[in-house]
Amino acid sequence: MEILENLEQWQAAYEQGWLAHYQETGETDFKIYVRPKNSQAPAGPGIELARSRLALISSAGSYLKASQDPYDAENPLGDYTIRTYPSSTPFEAIAYAHTHYDHAAVNDDPQVLLPLRHLEDMVREGIVGELAPSVISFHGYQPDVTRTVNETIPAIVAAAKAEQIDAALLIPA
Amino acid sequence: MEGIATTLTTWIAGVTRLTAPPRGTFTQLARGSTAGNRHDTAQQRRVLEATLALLAQDAPVELVRLREEVAG
Repeated sequence: MEILENLEQWQAAYEQGWLAHYQETGETDFKIYVRPKNSQAPAGPGIELARSRLALISSAGSYLKASQDPYDAENPLGDYTIRTYPSSTPFEAIAYAHTHYDHAAVNDDPQVLLPLRHLEDMVREGIVGELAPSVISFHGYQPDVTRTVNETIPAIVAAAKAEQIDAALLIPA
Repeated sequence: MEGIATTLTTWIAGVTRLTAPPRGTFTQLARGSTAGNRHDTAQQRRVLEATLALLAQDAPVELVRLREEVAG
Protein backbone atom coordinates (compact mmCIF):
# COMPACT_ATOMS: atom_id res chain seq x y z
CA MET A 1 0.00 0.00 0.00
CA GLU A 2 1.33 3.42 -0.91
CA ILE A 3 2.06 5.83 1.91
CA LEU A 4 0.40 8.59 -0.06
CA GLU A 5 -2.00 7.93 -2.90
CA ASN A 6 -1.42 10.06 -6.00
CA LEU A 7 1.99 11.25 -4.83
CA GLU A 8 3.01 12.42 -8.31
CA GLN A 9 -0.13 14.54 -8.62
CA TRP A 10 0.48 15.98 -5.16
CA GLN A 11 4.09 16.80 -6.07
CA ALA A 12 3.03 18.62 -9.24
CA ALA A 13 0.49 20.70 -7.32
CA TYR A 14 3.06 21.48 -4.64
CA GLU A 15 5.73 22.54 -7.11
CA GLN A 16 3.38 24.65 -9.23
CA GLY A 17 1.59 26.18 -6.25
CA TRP A 18 3.13 26.53 -2.79
CA LEU A 19 6.76 25.99 -3.81
CA ALA A 20 6.59 28.28 -6.87
CA HIS A 21 5.04 31.01 -4.72
CA TYR A 22 7.78 30.58 -2.13
CA GLN A 23 10.51 30.72 -4.77
CA GLU A 24 9.01 33.85 -6.28
CA THR A 25 8.21 35.74 -3.09
CA GLY A 26 10.02 34.10 -0.17
CA GLU A 27 6.63 33.70 1.53
CA THR A 28 5.28 30.42 2.89
CA ASP A 29 1.56 30.75 2.16
CA PHE A 30 -0.40 27.84 3.57
CA LYS A 31 -3.65 29.19 2.18
CA ILE A 32 -2.49 27.79 -1.17
CA TYR A 33 -0.95 24.61 0.23
CA VAL A 34 -2.54 21.39 -1.01
CA ARG A 35 -3.05 18.98 1.90
CA PRO A 36 -2.05 15.37 1.20
CA LYS A 37 -5.05 13.05 1.09
CA ASN A 38 -5.62 9.33 1.21
CA SER A 39 -8.91 7.61 0.48
CA GLN A 40 -8.01 4.34 2.22
CA ALA A 41 -6.49 3.72 5.63
CA PRO A 42 -4.02 0.87 6.01
CA ALA A 43 -5.42 -2.39 7.34
CA GLY A 44 -3.74 -4.58 9.91
CA PRO A 45 -4.40 -6.78 12.90
CA GLY A 46 -4.70 -5.47 16.42
CA ILE A 47 -2.15 -6.42 19.05
CA GLU A 48 -2.18 -7.27 22.73
CA LEU A 49 -0.47 -4.23 24.19
CA ALA A 50 0.39 -5.92 27.46
CA ARG A 51 2.55 -8.37 25.50
CA SER A 52 3.99 -5.84 23.05
CA ARG A 53 6.98 -3.55 22.68
CA LEU A 54 5.80 0.01 22.07
CA ALA A 55 7.77 2.91 20.61
CA LEU A 56 6.94 6.58 20.99
CA ILE A 57 7.28 8.50 17.72
CA SER A 58 7.26 12.25 18.18
CA SER A 59 7.19 15.11 15.69
CA ALA A 60 7.99 17.73 18.34
CA GLY A 61 11.53 18.31 17.10
CA SER A 62 13.09 16.85 20.23
CA TYR A 63 16.76 15.97 20.47
CA LEU A 64 19.50 15.44 23.04
CA LYS A 65 20.87 18.88 23.62
CA ALA A 66 24.32 17.67 24.74
CA SER A 67 25.07 15.24 21.92
CA GLN A 68 22.77 15.71 18.93
CA ASP A 69 22.41 18.49 16.39
CA PRO A 70 19.16 20.41 16.59
CA TYR A 71 16.76 20.27 13.66
CA ASP A 72 16.96 22.98 11.01
CA ALA A 73 13.91 24.63 12.50
CA GLU A 74 14.30 27.95 10.70
CA ASN A 75 14.34 26.35 7.25
CA PRO A 76 11.11 27.33 5.44
CA LEU A 77 11.41 24.16 3.35
CA GLY A 78 11.51 21.91 6.43
CA ASP A 79 13.83 19.32 7.97
CA TYR A 80 13.35 15.67 7.00
CA THR A 81 15.91 14.01 9.27
CA ILE A 82 15.23 11.94 12.38
CA ARG A 83 16.92 11.51 15.77
CA THR A 84 16.68 8.63 18.22
CA TYR A 85 17.49 8.75 21.90
CA PRO A 86 16.85 6.48 24.89
CA SER A 87 13.27 6.33 26.11
CA SER A 88 14.65 6.61 29.64
CA THR A 89 16.27 9.99 28.94
CA PRO A 90 15.64 12.53 31.70
CA PHE A 91 13.58 15.41 30.38
CA GLU A 92 16.30 17.83 31.43
CA ALA A 93 18.52 16.39 28.70
CA ILE A 94 15.99 16.97 25.90
CA ALA A 95 15.54 20.17 23.89
CA TYR A 96 13.10 21.10 21.13
CA ALA A 97 14.00 22.69 17.79
CA HIS A 98 10.72 23.54 16.08
CA THR A 99 9.40 27.02 15.34
CA HIS A 100 5.83 26.04 14.48
CA TYR A 101 4.42 25.59 17.97
CA ASP A 102 4.68 27.42 21.28
CA HIS A 103 7.18 25.64 23.53
CA ALA A 104 5.78 27.08 26.76
CA ALA A 105 3.83 23.95 27.65
CA VAL A 106 6.48 21.40 26.70
CA ASN A 107 9.19 23.35 28.50
CA ASP A 108 7.00 23.45 31.61
CA ASP A 109 5.77 19.84 31.40
CA PRO A 110 7.40 17.68 28.71
CA GLN A 111 4.72 14.99 29.13
CA VAL A 112 2.36 17.14 27.04
CA LEU A 113 4.30 15.94 23.97
CA LEU A 114 6.65 13.23 25.28
CA PRO A 115 4.65 11.21 27.82
CA LEU A 116 7.59 8.93 28.59
CA ARG A 117 7.16 8.85 32.33
CA HIS A 118 3.47 7.96 31.93
CA LEU A 119 4.42 5.17 29.52
CA GLU A 120 6.96 3.87 32.03
CA ASP A 121 4.19 3.84 34.64
CA MET A 122 1.98 1.91 32.24
CA VAL A 123 4.72 -0.68 31.79
CA ARG A 124 4.97 -1.09 35.57
CA GLU A 125 1.18 -1.41 35.75
CA GLY A 126 1.16 -4.13 33.09
CA ILE A 127 -0.80 -2.11 30.54
CA VAL A 128 2.14 -1.92 28.13
CA GLY A 129 4.46 -4.89 27.70
CA GLU A 130 7.63 -2.86 27.34
CA LEU A 131 8.88 0.39 25.94
CA ALA A 132 11.22 0.38 22.98
CA PRO A 133 14.75 1.32 23.95
CA SER A 134 14.55 4.51 21.88
CA VAL A 135 12.22 7.36 21.10
CA ILE A 136 12.00 8.07 17.38
CA SER A 137 11.98 11.82 16.86
CA PHE A 138 11.45 14.01 13.83
CA HIS A 139 10.58 17.59 12.99
CA GLY A 140 6.94 17.88 12.02
CA TYR A 141 7.28 20.89 9.74
CA GLN A 142 7.71 19.13 6.41
CA PRO A 143 5.94 20.91 3.56
CA ASP A 144 7.40 18.62 0.87
CA VAL A 145 5.49 15.38 1.36
CA THR A 146 7.54 13.65 -1.32
CA ARG A 147 10.61 14.13 0.85
CA THR A 148 8.63 12.91 3.86
CA VAL A 149 7.69 9.75 1.96
CA ASN A 150 11.15 9.18 0.48
CA GLU A 151 13.38 10.29 3.36
CA THR A 152 11.67 10.62 6.74
CA ILE A 153 9.33 7.66 6.69
CA PRO A 154 11.94 5.12 5.51
CA ALA A 155 14.27 6.36 8.25
CA ILE A 156 11.51 5.98 10.84
CA VAL A 157 10.62 2.50 9.58
CA ALA A 158 14.27 1.44 9.71
CA ALA A 159 14.61 2.76 13.26
CA ALA A 160 11.37 1.03 14.28
CA LYS A 161 12.53 -2.29 12.82
CA ALA A 162 15.89 -1.96 14.55
CA GLU A 163 14.00 -1.60 17.82
CA GLN A 164 11.94 -4.72 17.01
CA ILE A 165 8.74 -2.98 18.01
CA ASP A 166 5.24 -4.40 17.75
CA ALA A 167 3.42 -1.10 18.06
CA ALA A 168 3.96 2.63 17.72
CA LEU A 169 2.31 5.66 19.29
CA LEU A 170 2.60 8.83 17.21
CA ILE A 171 2.20 12.10 19.05
CA PRO A 172 2.37 15.09 16.72
CA ALA A 173 3.14 18.50 18.15
CA MET B 1 3.58 0.88 9.19
CA GLU B 2 4.95 -2.28 7.57
CA GLY B 3 3.48 -4.77 10.02
CA ILE B 4 3.71 -2.52 13.05
CA ALA B 5 0.41 -1.61 14.69
CA THR B 6 0.16 2.17 15.00
CA THR B 7 -2.05 4.66 16.76
CA LEU B 8 -1.98 8.42 17.26
CA THR B 9 -3.72 11.28 18.99
CA THR B 10 -4.34 14.64 17.37
CA TRP B 11 -5.83 18.05 18.18
CA ILE B 12 -6.43 18.75 14.48
CA ALA B 13 -8.83 16.06 13.40
CA GLY B 14 -9.71 17.58 10.04
CA VAL B 15 -6.18 17.50 8.68
CA THR B 16 -5.34 14.15 10.28
CA ARG B 17 -8.48 12.53 8.87
CA LEU B 18 -7.41 13.49 5.33
CA THR B 19 -4.37 11.22 5.63
CA ALA B 20 -6.49 8.19 6.65
CA PRO B 21 -4.44 6.87 9.58
CA PRO B 22 -5.10 3.29 10.72
CA ARG B 23 -6.14 4.22 14.27
CA GLY B 24 -6.35 7.35 16.38
CA THR B 25 -8.12 9.65 18.77
CA PHE B 26 -8.84 13.36 18.46
CA THR B 27 -9.33 16.00 21.12
CA GLN B 28 -9.99 19.71 21.47
CA LEU B 29 -6.58 20.20 23.02
CA ALA B 30 -4.08 22.69 21.59
CA ARG B 31 -1.02 22.70 19.37
CA GLY B 32 1.94 21.99 21.62
CA SER B 33 -0.15 20.11 24.21
CA THR B 34 -1.29 17.16 22.15
CA ALA B 35 -1.23 14.61 25.00
CA GLY B 36 -3.00 16.82 27.52
CA ASN B 37 -2.75 20.07 29.40
CA ARG B 38 0.44 20.72 31.33
CA HIS B 39 0.54 19.15 34.80
CA ASP B 40 -2.90 17.56 34.30
CA THR B 41 -1.60 14.04 34.77
CA ALA B 42 -5.08 12.55 34.97
CA GLN B 43 -6.01 14.01 31.59
CA GLN B 44 -2.71 12.97 30.04
CA ARG B 45 -3.27 9.40 31.24
CA ARG B 46 -6.84 9.38 29.87
CA VAL B 47 -5.63 10.50 26.45
CA LEU B 48 -2.84 7.93 26.44
CA GLU B 49 -4.95 5.03 27.65
CA ALA B 50 -7.76 5.72 25.17
CA THR B 51 -5.31 6.10 22.29
CA LEU B 52 -3.34 2.98 23.16
CA ALA B 53 -6.50 0.93 23.72
CA LEU B 54 -7.21 1.22 19.99
CA LEU B 55 -4.19 -0.98 19.30
CA ALA B 56 -6.27 -3.99 20.32
CA GLN B 57 -8.57 -3.43 17.36
CA ASP B 58 -7.95 -4.49 13.79
CA ALA B 59 -7.26 -1.49 11.56
CA PRO B 60 -8.64 0.61 10.09
CA VAL B 61 -10.58 2.23 12.92
CA GLU B 62 -12.41 5.55 12.57
CA LEU B 63 -10.87 8.39 14.59
CA VAL B 64 -12.39 8.34 18.08
CA ARG B 65 -13.42 11.61 19.71
CA LEU B 66 -12.16 12.23 23.24
CA ARG B 67 -13.86 14.97 25.23
CA GLU B 68 -10.61 16.56 26.34
CA GLU B 69 -10.17 20.30 26.05
CA VAL B 70 -7.74 23.10 26.71
CA ALA B 71 -7.69 24.06 30.38
CA GLY B 72 -10.35 26.68 31.07
